[in-house]
This record gives sequence, C-alpha cells and structure tokens, in this order.
Amino acid sequence: MSIEFFLDGKAVKAEAGQTIMDAARDNGIVIPGLCGDPRISKTTSCFVCVVKDKKTGKFLPSCSARPAPGQEIEVTTPEVLDMRRTALELLLSEHNGDCEAPCTIACPAHAQVEEYVRAIANGEFEKGLAIIKERIPMPMSVGRVCPRFCEKQCRRNIDGKPVAINEFKRLAADKCFDSYMETLPELCGKQVAVIGGGPAGLSAAYYLRLQGFAVAVYDAEEKFGGMTRYGIPEYRLPKAILDREVAHFAKMGITFVPGKKLGADIALDELQKEFDAVVIAIGCWKASGLRCEGEELATPGIGFLHNIAVNGNVAPNPGRTLVIGGGNTAMDCVRSSVRLGSADVTCIYRRTEAEMPAEKIEIAEAGEEGVKFQFLTAPVKLEKRGDKLVLTCLKMELGEPDASGRRKPVAVPGSEFEIEADTVIGAIGQNTDAPAGLPVDRYGNLDVKAGSTRIEGKLYAAGDCAYGAATVVEAIASGRLAAMEIAEDLLNIPMPHENSVFISRGTWQEMSREDVVVLRDDLSDAARVELKFIPIEERRTTFNEVCATATAEELAAEGKRCIECSCSDKSDCKLRKFSDEAGCRPNAYPGARQVASYDVRHPEIIQDRGKCIKCTVCVKVCKEVVNQTLLSLQKRGFQSMIGTAFNSGLPLSCKDCGKCIESCPTGALDWRKKR
Amino acid sequence: MQEDFSFLNKIERDPGNLIKGLQAIQSAYGYVSDDAIRTAAEYFGRPEADVEGVISFYAQFKRVKPGKYKIAVCDGTACHLKGAPLIHTWLNQELGLNPGETAPDGVFSLETVACLGCCSLAPVMSVNGKVHAKLDRRTMMKILKEYAAK
Amino acid sequence: MISAEIKQIKIGLVSCGIAAGGEAVYKELTAAAGDIPVVKVGCLGHCYAEPLVEAVLKDGSSIFYNNVPGTSEAVANILALGEQGRFTIPAKRKAKELVKVLSMAGKIDPVNFDDYVSFGGYEGLKKALTMPPEAVVEEIKLSGLRGRGGGGFSTGMKWSFLAAKDSDEKIIVCNADEGDPGAFMDRSLMESVPHQVLEGMLIAAHATGGTKIIIYCRAEYPMAIDNLNIAISQIKANGLNIINGREIDIYIKEGAGAFVCGEETALIASLEGQRGMPRFRPPFPTDSGYQGKPTMINNVETFGNVPLILREGGAEFAKVGTAGGRGTKIFALAGDLEYPGLVEVPMGTTISEIVFDIGGADPEKVKAVQTGGPSGGCIPKDMFDTPVDYDSLRSLGAIMGSGGMIVIGNDRCMVETARYFLDFTHRESCGKCTFCRVGTTRMFEILERIVAGKGCEADLDTLEELGNKIKAGSLCGLGQTAPNPVLATLRYYRDEYLEHVNQKSCRAAQCNALSDIVLDQAKCIKCKLCIRSCPVEAISADFVIDPDKCTRCNSCVDICPKKAIRRMAKGENK
Repeated sequence: MSIEFFLDGKAVKAEAGQTIMDAARDNGIVIPGLCGDPRISKTTSCFVCVVKDKKTGKFLPSCSARPAPGQEIEVTTPEVLDMRRTALELLLSEHNGDCEAPCTIACPAHAQVEEYVRAIANGEFEKGLAIIKERIPMPMSVGRVCPRFCEKQCRRNIDGKPVAINEFKRLAADKCFDSYMETLPELCGKQVAVIGGGPAGLSAAYYLRLQGFAVAVYDAEEKFGGMTRYGIPEYRLPKAILDREVAHFAKMGITFVPGKKLGADIALDELQKEFDAVVIAIGCWKASGLRCEGEELATPGIGFLHNIAVNGNVAPNPGRTLVIGGGNTAMDCVRSSVRLGSADVTCIYRRTEAEMPAEKIEIAEAGEEGVKFQFLTAPVKLEKRGDKLVLTCLKMELGEPDASGRRKPVAVPGSEFEIEADTVIGAIGQNTDAPAGLPVDRYGNLDVKAGSTRIEGKLYAAGDCAYGAATVVEAIASGRLAAMEIAEDLLNIPMPHENSVFISRGTWQEMSREDVVVLRDDLSDAARVELKFIPIEERRTTFNEVCATATAEELAAEGKRCIECSCSDKSDCKLRKFSDEAGCRPNAYPGARQVASYDVRHPEIIQDRGKCIKCTVCVKVCKEVVNQTLLSLQKRGFQSMIGTAFNSGLPLSCKDCGKCIESCPTGALDWRKKR
Repeated sequence: MQEDFSFLNKIERDPGNLIKGLQAIQSAYGYVSDDAIRTAAEYFGRPEADVEGVISFYAQFKRVKPGKYKIAVCDGTACHLKGAPLIHTWLNQELGLNPGETAPDGVFSLETVACLGCCSLAPVMSVNGKVHAKLDRRTMMKILKEYAAK
Repeated sequence: MISAEIKQIKIGLVSCGIAAGGEAVYKELTAAAGDIPVVKVGCLGHCYAEPLVEAVLKDGSSIFYNNVPGTSEAVANILALGEQGRFTIPAKRKAKELVKVLSMAGKIDPVNFDDYVSFGGYEGLKKALTMPPEAVVEEIKLSGLRGRGGGGFSTGMKWSFLAAKDSDEKIIVCNADEGDPGAFMDRSLMESVPHQVLEGMLIAAHATGGTKIIIYCRAEYPMAIDNLNIAISQIKANGLNIINGREIDIYIKEGAGAFVCGEETALIASLEGQRGMPRFRPPFPTDSGYQGKPTMINNVETFGNVPLILREGGAEFAKVGTAGGRGTKIFALAGDLEYPGLVEVPMGTTISEIVFDIGGADPEKVKAVQTGGPSGGCIPKDMFDTPVDYDSLRSLGAIMGSGGMIVIGNDRCMVETARYFLDFTHRESCGKCTFCRVGTTRMFEILERIVAGKGCEADLDTLEELGNKIKAGSLCGLGQTAPNPVLATLRYYRDEYLEHVNQKSCRAAQCNALSDIVLDQAKCIKCKLCIRSCPVEAISADFVIDPDKCTRCNSCVDICPKKAIRRMAKGENK
C-alpha cells in the first residue's frame, strides 16, 4: 500500500514503511546523509538530511521520518539548504583532521604533494609526473624556480628541515617529461585565444586543450615562456628546459603565434570576434622607476635581464654595479652581473636582510658568489659625472610596522653619502602595462572579480597582469583557473571543487611536536637531501645551471621523511563531499575541536577520534552486522567518543573484517596503510 | 585488595538490570573498577565495551577511586546564583582540586552535582553525603579543616 | 514544663528539613517530649522556615515554630508552647495559595499507610474501581489535566492512547527523574506523600489496562526512594495492587544522573539498562516503549493530581485554573527572595503574585524570573502581570517546565545567568544529534568568551542564529529548548550583552573579567582582615587592591567587617 505526499510541491508516492529519504531517492531527489546504513537500525544522528514539514514548520530527519499522506515536505528550499549547511558546518567545526596536507594547502596550485612525493620516492616517476601535471603543466621549470610555498608549511620543519618537495617534481619531470603524453579529448569546436605565452598563458592553454578547446597563444616575443624565459636567468632555468616544455604544448596541438604584440600587431576587438574567449596573460613588464632625481639614468632590472636572455647570455661587463631593490629580480640582476664579469656588485636595500622579499636561498647564493649588500640605504639622487654614475643615498632606520607588517624604513636626517658606479640597476618592482580600454584596479592590474579570472564578456585575465608580479607557480594556478572558468562558462562543465573545503589541524608553527602525529612506521630521521652545486668559480663565470637534479636514490630516502599528513580518507570522505556540495564555510562556528587521538594499537586499523562525527554507524555495524560488540559510544555530549572496553583499543580478536571502516563516513576509522 | 561482587547475585540476571548492578557496585566501592566491569558484563550478559558505554554516560558512576571525603558542590540554579562558582575557586585555592579530581593523598575528592535539593539553603555542598548549608569562605575553610583533622 | 494541651508534635524531616539541621531538633524533642508522640512528617513547603515544628493541640489547632535550633532550650520552649519563635504563614501567601495536591504534605507521616488513608487517601482509587476504565479516562480528559513535567500534553489523551492498545502487557511509568536544577516539587511530593503518587498510578493502571508500574527516580533522592519502597510494600500488603483481578507489578528503577533521561524515549532506554539516549518518534512510547511494549509516561506531579480528580470529579477539578491550564501548579521558588520553598497556586496566578506576594521578593530589587529551569527562559519584571499557564509562558519565550521559578535580583548578570544554563545543558546533551551536541557547545563557548570580555557584537547574532537553528534541528526536547535561556535574555536584556561586548563591563559586577574589587579607604578601619584573607596577596600594606593580582574570589568582600570592600563593574571606579 503506497501513500501520496509532496516533495517541494510535487506529488510523489511512497511505499509503506519507506522513509522520506527513501521515497525522495525513488523520485530522483538524493538527500545527503552521513549516519545511515541500510544494514543497521537508525542512528538519527547527523541531521544533515533535514527536511521541513511545511504545515507544522518542523524540521525532520528524513532518514527516520516517514511521510504522512498529503504531507508537504520541503527538501531544497533555501531554508532547508541553510539548515543542512549548518549541520555540516557544526560537524566541520569540531572536525580535527587534515583534508589536505599542509603542503598541498600552501601550494598556490594545490598540487597533491603527498601523493606525488610518495609515487616518486617509490620510483613511479610517470605516475608522480601525472599527479603533478594535474596542477602544474611546467614541472621542469617550477621544479627549478619555485620558492616552495609547500616546503615552508611542511610539518617536518618542526624537526628542523622540511622535505625537499620541489626536488621530487624536478626529478620526475627531468626523467619523463618528453615521453609523457596526456590523453587528449576531441576538440569541442570552440576556440580560445591566449595573449601572452608566459607561465599563466601556457598553463591556461594547456588546461583549455585538456577541456577540448582549440587554443592559439600569441606573444610579443619571438620565443615563448615570458618571464620564465626573459626574466629568469639561464643559471636558474636553462632555456633548453623551456624549449622542451613549449615543444610539448605544441605537440598537444596548441598553436603558437610569436612576434605579435597586443595593441600593435593584434587587436582585442578582432580576437573577440574570432574566438569564443580571450585570456589576457600579458604579465608585468613595466619596471618601476627609482622614484628619485635622475632615475632615467638607471637600467631597469627586467630590461637588463631581457637583454642578456635575448643575446644568448652574452652582454658587456657592467663594471662596478649597484642594484637597487631586495626582491628576486634584484637577486637575478646581481648574480647575472657577477657572471658578466663584474668584480664589484652591490645590492642596495632600504630595510634589512630580514625584510628582503627575495628568497633566502637566492640571497645566500648571491652572497656565496661575491655579491655585497648594503642595507638600510635608500637612493635620493642619481647623476652622471664624467663616465661614471654617482648615486646619493640616505641612511635609514626601521620605524613602526607598515601595512605589509614590515617595519617601515625612516630616513636618518643628514646621513647623505655618495657611491660611484658604472651601472645602476633599478629592481624595485614591476607593473602591468594594461591594454587601453580595459578596467584596472587601484594597483593598475586588470580588474577581475575576486577569486576569479573573469573580466567581462569573453575576456579573462590570468597571471601577473591580474594581481601584480608574483611567482611562476601562482601564474600557473591562475592560468588553470581561467581554463576552468571558461569551461564552466562555455561548456557548462562545473568548476571542480575537490579542494574547496580544507580542514587543517593547524600549521607546524602553531603545533607541538606531539601534535604532529606520524602514522607511518618507517619515517626517516635522516637529514634533508643536499643538492650538488657546480664549483663556485664556474658559478661566477658562466651561466651554467647552478645545481643538479637530485638522484632517484636520494629521493627514495628523502621520501621517507614525509609524515604523510593528509587524511587517508580524503578522496571518499562523505563529510567533505557533502560540505563541498553545500558550500560550507569550515570556520563558520569556531570553537574547540575534538582531540585528535590516533589509536594505532591494532596492527591493521587506525582509529582517529579527531575525525569522528559520533554517528555510531561503526558501533552498530560491529554489533548488528558482524555480531560483535567491540566498539561502543562512550561519555556524552561534546565529549562523546567511540571507544573500546577499558580503552584498550580494538582487540586482536577483531577479525579485521573492515566493515566498520567501510561504513565510516569520514576517516575516523581506516586502514593503517595508506593505499 | 580483591573486590567482592557476590552481592550482584541478589539482582536478577537480566541484561536490563545492568544499571542496577552498577549502582550496587558504585555504592559498595565508590567507583567501578575494571574488574567490576568484567564481572558485571559477565553476570548481566552484556559486552564489556557496552558496559563501558553505559558507565561513562551516567554521572553517578565513577571510574576513579574517590577520596576518603567526597566533596560534592551543588551547582543548582539557586546555589549558582548564591555563589557556587566562588566555592569552586576557594576549594581550588585550598585543595588544588578541580571537579572530578581526587587529591594525591586520597583525602578529598571533588565533584559538582546538579542539585542537592536544598535550594533555600544555598549555597551548599555535601561531604560524604552530609549537607553543609549557607556557605561562605570562612565556614567552608572550617569544614575542610575539621575533615582533614579526622 | 510540657504543656498539657499538646496532643502530638510534628517535625518536617524530609531532605530539606534534614539539611537545615532538623535531625538534631528531632533528637532533642524525642528526649524531652515524654509520652507525647513526635512524628516525622513531610514538607509544608516553607523551606525558609526549616526546621519547622508543629505542636498539634488537643483541640485540633496547631502552633508552629520556625527555624528551630537543635538545643534543649528551644525544644523546652516549644513543649511549653512558649511565645518565642512562633510561626504563622504569611497572610499574603495564605490568600493566594491553594493547597490541593500538597494538602497532605507535612501533615502526615509519609510512611504511615493509615495516616494517608485517614486523610482521604485511596478514596480516589476506590472510586475509580467502581467505574469502567473508559469512564476514568473520560474523567481525566474532563479535568483538563496537562502533563506537569514540562511539555504540557493532555494527560487524558495520553491515557486514551494507551487504553486503546491491544496488548498483554502495558507499562505505566512515573518519570521521577527531576533533573531541573532549582526544582524540587517532585522530590517533596514523593518524600512527603508517596502514596498519593502511587495511588495516581494505580488509577492509571485501571483506566488504561496497565500491567506494570515502574517509577524511574533520581538516585540523588534516597529518601524519596526509601519512602516509595515502604509505600509499595504497604500497597502490596493491603492488596491494592490487585486491579480488576490482575496483580500489578510495581517497582522503582533508579536513574543514574542524566538530565536527558527526562525525555520519554531516553528514559525508556535507561530503564532497559542502556545509555539514556533519545530516539526519533514515532513510534511513540504508547505504541512501542519499554521492551517494545506500549508504555505511558507521566510525571510525579501529574500522577499526584489524579487521586484528586477522581475524588472531586473532573468537572470540579477543571473549575480551577485557566484555558491554558487547569487545576493547581506547584512551584519551587528559589533565588533572590524572602521565602524560598514550595507553593501551590491555581493555574493563572500571576507571576507577581507568586514572586512578590508569596515569595516576599522586594519589587525594587528584582529584575526577572526564570521559569522552566535550563529549558525555560527569563521573564522581565514588567511582564509579571502575566497569568501563569502553559500557553502564556510559551508566548513569552519561557516554558512552564516542571515548575522551577528562580527569582533573579537586580545585582545578577543576565549574561552570566544564560551562560550558566548553557553550561548545564551542553554538558547534559547526550551527544546524539549534531545541532545539540556541537551547537550548544558553540553557544556555550561564545557565552564564555563574552563573560570573559572577549566577545564582539557579531557573537550576539551568531547566538541568535545558532540558537534558533538548534531549537529547530534538535532531536529531542533537551536540544529544542536548550537555547531558550539565551534567546530570552537576548530578547529582553540585549543591553547587558552589548555592555559586555562593547564596553567590556558587567553592570552586576558578577563577571570576574569585567569587574573589579575595590576598597573604600574612607570606610576602612585598617583591621588587616582583608590582607590576611587574600589568598593571592593582592592587597597592599596601604590597602590598595591590585586588579591584576586579584582573582575576584570575594574573600575580602566577605570578611570585611565594615563592608568597605565591594565589587564594581569595570570602569565604574573612576
């Protein structure tokens, strides 16, 4: 005997004994729920499945409530969805796990670091490369020049040194980049133009091609790579590497159109007529001036580097050189000047070394190569005296912190002094040279919507020109985002949100050593792998690559240093999946988390209470399906936990049947070994 | 000392009587030991994990041996309004105990109870069941001294 | 000299009387009274007057003595019918109260069967047994009696559900797990007149075909359990447990300390020896309850009303009260008032009559009253004209609950009061459903932040939003009502919350982090008692309190003979 009731106003039938959730499913509406399992009695715990009885105004757990004849049930009204989201957000608020490892969260491209490190350490280079290329299509470049956001958040820092993550990328890419070929989908018939062949543009082109778009990449230069080619010196990123990467993109069928400058050789109007979408990825090529009298006498840093690159790493000896600025471009300039034969290169920076935005390793390597540093010094005047340049500087001291949190340099009155030089290079910043007619933000970058690459109509912007000069990996992430957004807009492919909900147990800076739980038995305490540098004399005199790629053997050992922080269940955690779908804010209700207590006393099974949602499905499965009662819900309220008798852990009499693990909606119960 | 649970035999051997059995154990020993759990599980035919779940749900059952003198501070509404939180502050200052703890020397243990039903005499605490009413710091200190001297 | 007029001495010796020191008085009385019988009776409800002794005279009148110390002098005074310490019920109270359910409490020896019968006990049962069961159910329906435990569901309806069930076994359960901190009417009734509750249950067994009677009683009420057990054995001895030829099994199961067991389905789980976790309804207990059998659960006071209804008839019973509640209601008064204790009044009596006339609270010093304990809400003084019944209280954001009424003085902080209730409920949450388990914890944490001076205005919106969602999305009554104290205080005392979050100040000087303890040098007599009492050496030799060292423990405030030290809202001492 069936009854009729209403789901969101639509009359539906339910069989006798069916719950609202069952009946909804039979009618094509899937109501999410975390705490149900057809093999066991109802738990009615998570309340993610709430629906509303329109007449009484009451919310009902649809997993347990049975429909009454004529009852009007609301399933997808904003109010119901809001309640559902709140239930999930409350569960997330007490959830104490790592949906992703800190390295993956820190990576601007959110590469699955733990996974590729494990694969490459195991010698599965192609598998490792495939994982990397899901997020980073230029792994040989990034493997050399990345400032390693991931390593800064690696929890091994708590023991001193992070895992040498970037070396894994470099090794896998060096080994199989040329032989690896993506499976390419059929072309969908739509075409996208990408203006600018730097990392953002190339990344956009790559992921657009993988979505089935025909892509043409335009660049003002004769060769592709943008800043990676013309801004980063050969000794850090050999041009031959870039050639191989660009060649691969060409092999994928991406069209390259060199020597076409936007505004001069090509026009946006035309491109918008011809293409279904246009990605602007023109980078930041306008160097900032020194903002002092005579600034026109200085050589712009990017111009200096561009000139070297264009001329095959050959340029005149700049003589006594002053480089003004403390960023990575400044480091590239000083180190290139050394290689061009200058015996006297000084970096001038208005704060101290601690505040320098350049990578620490770059500063150190520059020092090794003989570069001098003059801190707390700011230029006030540049003038030409004879065939020499004279830079007048002021001494500075650090005052109150500014908006960036760094202490602001303040001039010491009357401290002027002069320095004589042959070449003065300004490397204090680069800006976007925005094409006329496009909206810009207050920094002069193309105005995109927050967290998006969309400008207007068919126009998208990715990379430096959308947010200001940044790193290669950020440009790559931005290019990928543009591709995904275009796929969403033109092909209705939903944005992948596999990484949108990040619950993290915290950063290593806020954790104690005890908090950093290690599950693997074979964690290595060995020192971090040391890279092999070419002799210092060779570094000073040639543009040869500074250090070599680590070996497979070295990284097999290095891989054992990885804690494997991320949740073992992250790929099929229902809590995460439903939270993603509901658009949850993980920090909506901040408060005490559950205590992470990893119980690894059982040889096969790990119980991680921090991730438990107390649904008791495992308890009921063990009792009602397996016919044992090895688990029980203990304590009550917020302190509730799944425990065993005498807190002695799952006994060995447990047959490892794994039914509790299969039924656990999160990673609170799982196999010990990551699979 | 081996605990004796033969008194359980007076209770009908029915899984539904577990709480009754545990109450008998609690009142005999002031707590429920691991041995007691094993015995009760066996006697009432309930899995040990299950028994642990029941014990930890109810405030009445303790898993830790209490002190010689069990101080129970009432935190019912009336007592709370009349200063129960201060009593906790004072006890903590004097004995270094938080609710649920037993002093290392085993003399005092402290717990909070929902209501002793003496709302008109607030604030109150009980020591081994004897209610001490209308407490202020001085009377409380006096009471503690008396028990400590016993 | 023992007065010859005295026939009998009665002394209230249930929990409250004992806590007030009544046993010492009893000892003195028995030693000194000679042939005059000294009877331990139950509670008259005048807790503020305990130990309370009644000298019953041969002419049938009585003289009461209040707050009797356990000394031979005091006892001698009573036995001589001395003038000293005589007690009369305050006239205002006498005018407002209507003692029906409690009419035998404090008058009879709780464990004397004949005493109960001589005051009209078991007449209700006798009458019921002459009626067909359906007629008894109709009588209860006619009375308009609603559950006294909290929900206020029609008792007659509930009985009819069970009566309609066709089952060999039907269970009648008395919910005596009174867990609401600040309510003690059920305890008093069970201790003082256990037979009355049992009589109500026996009548229910007749009316509904019940085959088993279980009393689920808090283990914290040992005297109630003892008295009920004695009463049960007396019932069995007198054959009163044979209803319509069937022997009814009657026994007590002790609760083990879990507030949530006041919930029907949780109570059943606990009766079955499980964790007291509620489950989704339906099925309702009357369909499938204890061990799967049809089960009906009523509260102590509800059963206590039943014999009255049978004795006087449902129609007569219904004459008292309002449309929102028939009969009388017992309230437990506590907090900032003159006469804490129990009082029974007609439904529809106003809060101001209960609090001011009966409780003797000073209207100038009271700002609100909390009804329904941690599940209820506060009602501000300007709404005290509200007649108290189920519906009127709900419309104010409070609930009747079991009848706890806590008077909150002007010098109490409403934020701290709300925090206190949430502290209780979040710890009593069973942990089953997400909204209650995590939601109440989050609300509690926010309140903790606010009283610690770390709150912000956005927290108040979160409290409201989360509170309403917890009410809507929790499985059982505990979660569905837990936010009430917060929502009600936010509704009526938002200004106090705003002061806490914006000015970081507590006008009641109750929240430690937002108060200071200051010493008035003008009043100080330099006796140094404060310096000696301070456990953290926060008071300097020249009598200045260091606010950073001070833990606000009040030691100095309490000890100062000149009241020169007091608490002040932070920032007020400028």
